[in-house]
Amino acid sequence: MKPRMTLRWIVFAFAAFILNFPVIATLITAFKGAGEVSRNPSLWVQAPTLENFATVLTVSDRLNVYHYLWNSTVAALIGAVLPMLVAFPLAWAMVRRGVGRGVLFPLVVNLRALPLIIFAIPLYMMFSVAGLLDTRLGLGLILAIVNLPLALLLLVNAVAEIPAEIEEAAHMDGARTGRLLLRVVLPLCRPALITTFVFGFITAWNEFLFGLMLTTREAVPMTVGASFFFATSGGGVQWGLAAAVMVVAALPPLVLGLVMYRRITGSMVAGAVKG
Amino acid sequence: MTNRRENAILAAPLVLFLLAILGFPTVLALVYGVSDTSFQTLTSPEFSGLANFRQVLADPTFWQAAWFSLRFGAITAVLQCALGLALAVYLAPLVRLHGWTVAILIIPMIVAPAMMGLMYRLVLHEFAGPLPHYLYQWLGWSPAFLSPAHVFKTVVVAETLQWTPFAFLLFLTAYQSIPEDLREAAAVDGTRPWRRFWTIELPLMLPTVWVALFIRFIDGFRVFDNIYTLVGAGPGGSTTSMSIYIYETFLRRGEIGKAMAAAILLFVTAFLALALAQRLTRKAAR
Repeated sequence: MKPRMTLRWIVFAFAAFILNFPVIATLITAFKGAGEVSRNPSLWVQAPTLENFATVLTVSDRLNVYHYLWNSTVAALIGAVLPMLVAFPLAWAMVRRGVGRGVLFPLVVNLRALPLIIFAIPLYMMFSVAGLLDTRLGLGLILAIVNLPLALLLLVNAVAEIPAEIEEAAHMDGARTGRLLLRVVLPLCRPALITTFVFGFITAWNEFLFGLMLTTREAVPMTVGASFFFATSGGGVQWGLAAAVMVVAALPPLVLGLVMYRRITGSMVAGAVKG
Repeated sequence: MTNRRENAILAAPLVLFLLAILGFPTVLALVYGVSDTSFQTLTSPEFSGLANFRQVLADPTFWQAAWFSLRFGAITAVLQCALGLALAVYLAPLVRLHGWTVAILIIPMIVAPAMMGLMYRLVLHEFAGPLPHYLYQWLGWSPAFLSPAHVFKTVVVAETLQWTPFAFLLFLTAYQSIPEDLREAAAVDGTRPWRRFWTIELPLMLPTVWVALFIRFIDGFRVFDNIYTLVGAGPGGSTTSMSIYIYETFLRRGEIGKAMAAAILLFVTAFLALALAQRLTRKAAR
């Protein structure tokens, strides 16, 4: 039994190393100084330094990482919260009264499987007319659409798990639907709401295509900003700096994801199985 | 009566949101799909019938992109599911004792695909990249990963390594939900683990296999971020997926009507494929 477990640990370590190799390599490179990067491409840092991070975290003409981080934060917050707001009342009506079970539910859930580029172009046109191009609000609205299917799915599952008797008791007390939703159903759905938020925030933060198409200067999110950094550095990319930018860009979702990994894994499985 | 009004109010936020953000653009897409437009004449599209569609269907790059997406989706889906299944079944006893190991293995999924593409630029870089460095050191030789000869394999491997954790997670959950007494019964009968996997466990996990293959195929088919940040359209357009094709047609070449027509074709195809897949799974469930 014992040697078998040891073999499993070895396989795990190997898999973890291979799957995370780009992340590991980037993290290591971020600690290499400007001179060392060109001399030493190995996974060993001879003279670890924080100079790359210092440069990245200092505002300059070329790179204002706080601007990108702020854009991503605002857009991802809108993209994570808005779908919960619009999906919650419908999720309850769907479970308790069958509203929209036939058409609306499959329609929304299937959105997840469509290539997003389909909507990107008409949205670009609409946004240019509505003045939403290159705004955090505009980007947030799209990210909300991206997150809508999973939000609805998770909330429908959550409401379905609430025993109907609890709601009936509240009804007996004469609570009206609005109050019932806010005072009884909403608190009971809290775990699902947290999961939906965490998952939605990470997905929104990591989105790239819409950020690339719908923003140019003011509302550029972190993922797109990081890719600019590669494109604009002319002939040679400064790999140490580039690596530090990527570490900063990947850190917020990573921290959130690792702290909440149980919730994420759960919702991913739920989303896949019910879809 | 009051209930019906109430239901309408409860459904209204989501319905209005959908109509505003997706309904209106869909109408726009249809209008521009049958019009002759450029960025200069954005507000006065001129009706041109099905000309855009004819143009798209006659464009060899479109078919190349469609073929790329199909191949990419199918190959990565199969690879990810095979690897994910093997890892899940083999590591399940370890995961049961040490839950945190899962968190380590799913890190790639939490990193933005666009970032992953950029990271691979570093990893594969001729001079700064660790992978060519070690290959030279150990084998005295390293392939040009992003050259026309190898770029397809490179993007397939990059996509597979990022999303194998997803398949792993699905299979792990499915594996853990197999009742323990089934396994014990098999052990009492003297069934070897390998045989037990093929005759008992795999058949029980088969529905999950189909779901995982389907989801990974769809995501592979519509791939954009990681390929775009790693190699763009690729040497000679060799990594132009459907999404990249539409993006380039629209923003790089400004052929709005054509891009829209391609998007509509993609939408219709995806919709039909989805409906078909759901019909099949429903039949299989019965």
